[in-house]
Amino acid sequence: MAEYKINAAHLYGDLMNTYGDFGNIVALRYYAQKIGVVVEQHIVSLEDDFDAEDYDFVLFGGGQDYEQMIVAEDLPKKAVALKAYIEDDGPFLGVCGGFQLIGQYFILADGTKVKGIGALSHYTLNQPDSRFIGNVTIKDEVNGLEYHGFENHQGRTFLGDNERPLGEIIKGNGNNGEDGGEGLVYKNAYGTYFHGPILTRNGNLALHMLQLILDRKYPQVDWQQKIATITPEFF
Amino acid sequence: MSLKSGLATFVGKSTYTLLHGVLHRGGTSLPGKLATKIDPDVMKNYAEKYDVILITGTNGKTLTTTLTTRVLREKYADVITNPSGSNMMQGITGTMLTAKLQDKTQRPIALLEVDEANVESVARQLKPKAFVLTNIFRDQLDRYGEIYTTYEKILKGIRLFPEATVIANADSPIFMRGDLPNPKVYFGFNHLQTTNSMRAPHNTDGVLSPTDNSVLRYHFITFGNQGDYFSVTDDFKRPALDYAVTSLNKLTPISSNFDIDGVTYQIEIGGMYNIYNALAAYAVGRFMGVSAEQIQHAFSSNAQIFGRQESVKVKDKEVTIVLIKNPVGANQVIDMMKTDDQPFSMLALLNANYADGIDTSWIWDADFESLHDTGIQAVATGGERYKDLYVRLKMAGFGDHPVYQDLQQIVPAIASMPTKRVYILATYTAMLQLRATLKQQGYINTGMGD
Repeated sequence: MAEYKINAAHLYGDLMNTYGDFGNIVALRYYAQKIGVVVEQHIVSLEDDFDAEDYDFVLFGGGQDYEQMIVAEDLPKKAVALKAYIEDDGPFLGVCGGFQLIGQYFILADGTKVKGIGALSHYTLNQPDSRFIGNVTIKDEVNGLEYHGFENHQGRTFLGDNERPLGEIIKGNGNNGEDGGEGLVYKNAYGTYFHGPILTRNGNLALHMLQLILDRKYPQVDWQQKIATITPEFF
Repeated sequence: MSLKSGLATFVGKSTYTLLHGVLHRGGTSLPGKLATKIDPDVMKNYAEKYDVILITGTNGKTLTTTLTTRVLREKYADVITNPSGSNMMQGITGTMLTAKLQDKTQRPIALLEVDEANVESVARQLKPKAFVLTNIFRDQLDRYGEIYTTYEKILKGIRLFPEATVIANADSPIFMRGDLPNPKVYFGFNHLQTTNSMRAPHNTDGVLSPTDNSVLRYHFITFGNQGDYFSVTDDFKRPALDYAVTSLNKLTPISSNFDIDGVTYQIEIGGMYNIYNALAAYAVGRFMGVSAEQIQHAFSSNAQIFGRQESVKVKDKEVTIVLIKNPVGANQVIDMMKTDDQPFSMLALLNANYADGIDTSWIWDADFESLHDTGIQAVATGGERYKDLYVRLKMAGFGDHPVYQDLQQIVPAIASMPTKRVYILATYTAMLQLRATLKQQGYINTGMGD
């Protein structure tokens, strides 16, 4: 039994799994292991209860339209707990569909409007017969770091007043191709259109996420010092 | 035959004769193209003459067609089939137009591999006796083409002929969608007797129940989303199988020995996915009255089966080159490597050109972690996107390892692997570059598919 353990919830991990988003958990597990922390992954899917108390990290990935519609129908059952988790500084990473679904609503390619859980205030419009596809580079204005990823999305997301983008676009389209922002940060919740996956390609961001998780769960330990011993990976 | 059809047939046949007899060039697409220009419905003339069987699905079409052709030829004198790659309208038209029949007394069979999007147009003209459905997996190159959309395209063709028999892989839950009135023949795996109730791994597509979109449970999974599934929210379950693999006897990377309905068969190719292909061929054979003994004979005939893998000798290494392009395919290759009883090394090559798929994220859904339970001794990575794979394998627990960005270095790279057996996994353009280098240095002397 490991002394320190991270319980990671992979929300609808068996349905929203199109672009290797699980790699984010692989990256966290890899870095955590280096400082003696175990990461245990749990799929929380249709029929399963989501109890915010059980988890230290939540990953919500992207999926195909069909699966995303089924997930959107189930999500209200988990909405209250998920919203409480985010408000309580719970570390969260939503990618693509998972990023859209925690917002107010999104509009599918065919014009269908699908309600999100409204945990956060952003919303997503469609773009007729077009997609943003390609490599993306952004700059995180808070720490000056550059992040690399690959975007592939039809939705155009607009942030609310209380949300800030994860980074400013250097190359690529980002949230909507208009305002120069990519992703979102609200408390310890992160949203992004980056596949790649983001935490595998951007070691510094993975270590930052790891620290958020561990500081919240085990505040008595000096995690910053331990994490400083890890060499992050980039590609 | 109308005048227009007659002219179309004449032009198609003459073009074929010119290409093959005079210019010694292969291919059936050009004759088909010219003929369909004159009469788009020219194939209709063949519907009454042949028993037509269409084989479709995203994976395994070519090998299933090859094996089924062999099986049917045990009983039937005239089984015509299309070359791999000629599986769209024009190629199939060319195949039909240029077929040469031996035995005029027996009804000939047209056994055709058909691209999923062409099932409707081909079926409309050829009035199939049976549709064979192998599987539907999402492809790297078509990431927003959903599996349900692909299946819908196939259904459009089947719905035109409610009396045609559907011979389907029942282990693939998607084929239970659509509520078809057709007679059905189901094949699948029944090699394990278990009352387990488990879900598919996180990186599996297509796990929703056809009846109520709940997440399916499985008694067992063969690979991907295939297996003995059931729904816990209603009484839906996999249908009873007409033909089943009842035992897996010995699996190696180059051969598979297994039982179907208690009788032992062997094919000279490894990989669970190829057992599915053989099972499909068996089901079609039985449907067409071929006996178990004849099928055994067909499978065991010495002709080599060309799958997606190739064996090459490089210096003292036994190298197996395998194409990878998506997580399901990569996991099948990983499973095949696990059946090797000798220690081996793996060299994985990743490019991200258009033909490879420009998004490399899928490598995180391939279960490289499971290679730790095998005889793997060393790994190396290469290709234009070697960094992605380097980090992938490092995070999978393989530590620091050699990288080869330049495939010109591939021969020394292979030679430096510590084991006699080396598996090279490569995406499409990396495979082309690899083969070009090996050819240039005299290790292989044929083009792909020669």
